[in-house]
Amino acid sequence: MELAEKQTPVLILGGGVAGLAAARELARRGVACVLAEREPVLGGRARGFACKATTACARCGACRVGDLLAELAARPEAELFTCAGAVAARRDRGRWQVELAPQPGEGAEPFPARALGERLALTCRAVILAVGYSPFDPRAKSRFGYGRVPGVISALELEAMLAQDTLAGPRGEPPRRVAFIQCVGSRDQSLGHLYCSRVCCGYALRMAGRIRHTWPESEVSFFHMDLQTYGRAWEEALPELRRQVHLVRAMPGEVTRGEDDTPQVVYSDPAGRHHREPFDLVVLSVGLRPPKAASALAEMFGLEPGPDGFLQDGPEVFVAGCAQGPRGIVESMDHAARAAAAALRLLDSGREAAHG
Amino acid sequence: MARVSLLWVERPGLEGLEPAAVARAAGVELNSGGPVEAAVVTCPAEEAPEPLRQRLAGKPVQWLELAAEVGGGDGAHRLARAAAAVARAAGRAELATLPPVYAPQPAQKVLVAGRGLAALAAAHEAALAGHPVLLAGEEPTRPGADDDPAEVERLAAGLPAGVELASGCTLLRLAGAAGDFRAELSRRGKESFGAVVLAPGGETVSCEAELALDWSWVRPLPELLASPPAGEQDRWLQVALLAGVSRPTTAGAFRRAVEAARRLQQGDFVQVTLFFREARVASEGGERAYRAARQAGVLAVRVPEEGLVVRDGGRRLRWHDPLLDEDLELAPDVLTTAWEARAARPEFLDDPVQWPAWEHLLPDNPRFSGGRTAVSGLYILGPLRGTPPGADRRAEAAAAAGDLHRLLSGGEVAPMPSVRHTYCARCLTCVRTCPHHALGHRVDRIQPAPAACQGCGVCAAECPAEAIAPPGWSNPELRAGLQRGLALAPDPKLVVFTCAGSGRGALDALARQAHTWPAGVLFYPVPCAGRVGLALVLKALELGARGVLVAGCHHGNCRSVNGNLRAQLRVDQAARLLESLGLRPEAVRFLPLAANQPRRLARAVEEMAQEVAP
Repeated sequence: MELAEKQTPVLILGGGVAGLAAARELARRGVACVLAEREPVLGGRARGFACKATTACARCGACRVGDLLAELAARPEAELFTCAGAVAARRDRGRWQVELAPQPGEGAEPFPARALGERLALTCRAVILAVGYSPFDPRAKSRFGYGRVPGVISALELEAMLAQDTLAGPRGEPPRRVAFIQCVGSRDQSLGHLYCSRVCCGYALRMAGRIRHTWPESEVSFFHMDLQTYGRAWEEALPELRRQVHLVRAMPGEVTRGEDDTPQVVYSDPAGRHHREPFDLVVLSVGLRPPKAASALAEMFGLEPGPDGFLQDGPEVFVAGCAQGPRGIVESMDHAARAAAAALRLLDSGREAAHG
Repeated sequence: MARVSLLWVERPGLEGLEPAAVARAAGVELNSGGPVEAAVVTCPAEEAPEPLRQRLAGKPVQWLELAAEVGGGDGAHRLARAAAAVARAAGRAELATLPPVYAPQPAQKVLVAGRGLAALAAAHEAALAGHPVLLAGEEPTRPGADDDPAEVERLAAGLPAGVELASGCTLLRLAGAAGDFRAELSRRGKESFGAVVLAPGGETVSCEAELALDWSWVRPLPELLASPPAGEQDRWLQVALLAGVSRPTTAGAFRRAVEAARRLQQGDFVQVTLFFREARVASEGGERAYRAARQAGVLAVRVPEEGLVVRDGGRRLRWHDPLLDEDLELAPDVLTTAWEARAARPEFLDDPVQWPAWEHLLPDNPRFSGGRTAVSGLYILGPLRGTPPGADRRAEAAAAAGDLHRLLSGGEVAPMPSVRHTYCARCLTCVRTCPHHALGHRVDRIQPAPAACQGCGVCAAECPAEAIAPPGWSNPELRAGLQRGLALAPDPKLVVFTCAGSGRGALDALARQAHTWPAGVLFYPVPCAGRVGLALVLKALELGARGVLVAGCHHGNCRSVNGNLRAQLRVDQAARLLESLGLRPEAVRFLPLAANQPRRLARAVEEMAQEVAP
């Protein structure tokens, strides 16, 4: 079968925060690129995240996805495709030849992109991999009761609720007692996940603050090992958060179903005393795992495996955002600038070589 | 309304621009000799050919030094800037305002003042973006306190051709604005730069400076690692390492500390005890390093806030073990602490007249990432900003270079404010309130720096004389829009100003969902909520609005640092005024909002529309 062919200086795989930021960075310097997103909409996971502002911005960065989309919509340099996945890649005389295939999936109007209609063979100088992460599946940590105990949800589900300005317990009513359990799928020797997901303490504390602000009669407990917040703002915000949120330094042993069907958190405090505490809603702060496509992409582009299964740069392949390791929204945007600069440097060196 | 024609006078700096393309993009017609109703001319009046001046005598004409507006950059950028300048001038031609004072073209050269990885990376990235770079500092190519020396050496060895290295040369003073910073450098004198990057390398500081330790006895950790101590078989050496006891450390400092603890533990007959409040393992490889240290035999003691009692300057340490429920004590032979790199703020930044306060310069705001500061074109990287070492600093430098390139190349056309000098009282309110440091004054004129202006319009809101405004957003233009809309709108005539950074995005999202609004709600987009100001709020009410809602960003999320706070202040002021007049103060409101909160906007507007309805 004859494939439609196309040439572009840079191909970006992934249309989440990092991919869009990389495309914007290239576009601002007048360099054309093709961006291919597997899903039917651009913006990645962050697009569905809630604003966590209380009396002030909580600095989560979720609102900036819209800025990226708006700027790219107004720029001709970046050609954006949705429902487009890379199925094959090979290197030929210093160029990457990547085949994109349409992916199933329907949904909202993919503006400012268009859905890929047919297979496309792309020839490009550099590839930026910005394929994001996959959230840890809390079912794999069955003792926390996800999927079994009513009222146990993942932090992503809480994001979706807060994005709709709602908060609902298992029976639909706003919960009074909320628990966050940190490090679900992170810093866990039994799973072999020997890394901190970096963003969970931040996102969970922000959501805890948002809950306390919007539903002031609620009580929030925060079960954690160590607080991994960083940046000067957190140091200033922590005393206030301590008043708002009950910080408990303990990793719960399990979450069980109580007699009235509410979840109960079983834990030992630092002094070794056992507790069984009832809640209306238990939020599992799931960690960030390498993207599902990581091993397939690593094989396709001949990349050395990175630490913990994340991707790392290879010849003429640059990794941006969470595909390289867990990071926040704003950090991913900066990290994408690095990948874009690396791609530009490559294009530049090609130009110098061509000129002699 | 008079039809505006573009009259093209070829000037140096306009080479390569297609007059017809500029006219088309600006939405005006190119005049090639026919009759003229109103005109935009591409040169200043005094330099126009005499016949042309005679031909245009008595007609509304906007004389434009187009070459100064166009600047550098590639063809598309120059065309976009030229078209924007012409379009803006065309909008003015019939208003017959005085021509604005134009700043010169932005200087393209970038000053990187600093040392170590952050400075070198910034120099590399700015050069890659096509800007000549002066890399200046005491020893710019020496690693900073927490840099990887091998990586610094690699970057220093491969400096691109566009980077001029000025060792032993420090930045003494800085003035001006983006596109036109004037720097005073030791051994070089005064030079002009388009953008300035401050990236000092930082010095080693203990993370436990707040503890009452005998610092003459405490051993600095890097020095201890250079010659690791050893104990004896019957007398083990007790090493205590404090890694975030007074306050939790950064992830980078914690990782260095646990790696050091592991290495010290490997010495003969050495026992290392690591004290901390939080195990900060969020840096890459941090959790593994922490586990490796514990597996090597390092004792980890997590103490609560003020949970470690320090006696005799650190010769005796006492804490409570919750599991044993008893107090434990350690008399270490060697005491050391975690350390981090900290950089002193350059003294010239402490000039309150010239520069905003530090907290304002580096606002804690997610829109000021990638090295950006409140001052357009000034970037602060590395330890001075508090960025973790390694990859994060590389990323920050790349983001900063992308941003400065955008400012200097004219890649995005900011609608620079024009000043009506006959109205201007030189009170300098605009100069003081511009959040981006874009306005300066030369002699007796207000002069906006085109590369620095972000078009937020705060100057227009705060100017008491309506003498300054970005084109399209002046009070007369906004008033005209309000008048047209309010004349036709049914009750309740609710005016909603939406900020481009928040309200606008939420409004667009609702439009995509085909949201229907109650009748009588009028939306007015503004570049920043700070553009609205007191006069406009009151004008809307005067023109018949029953309510005014200003939808701006949440506190700490404004692209223009504090435009949202200004908006809130002015709305509160208007409410107090209404109250003093015996009117309902609730008729004016400020709504803090984010672009991804469309439902919040919909609810606030619908509630208010109901409340103010007659």
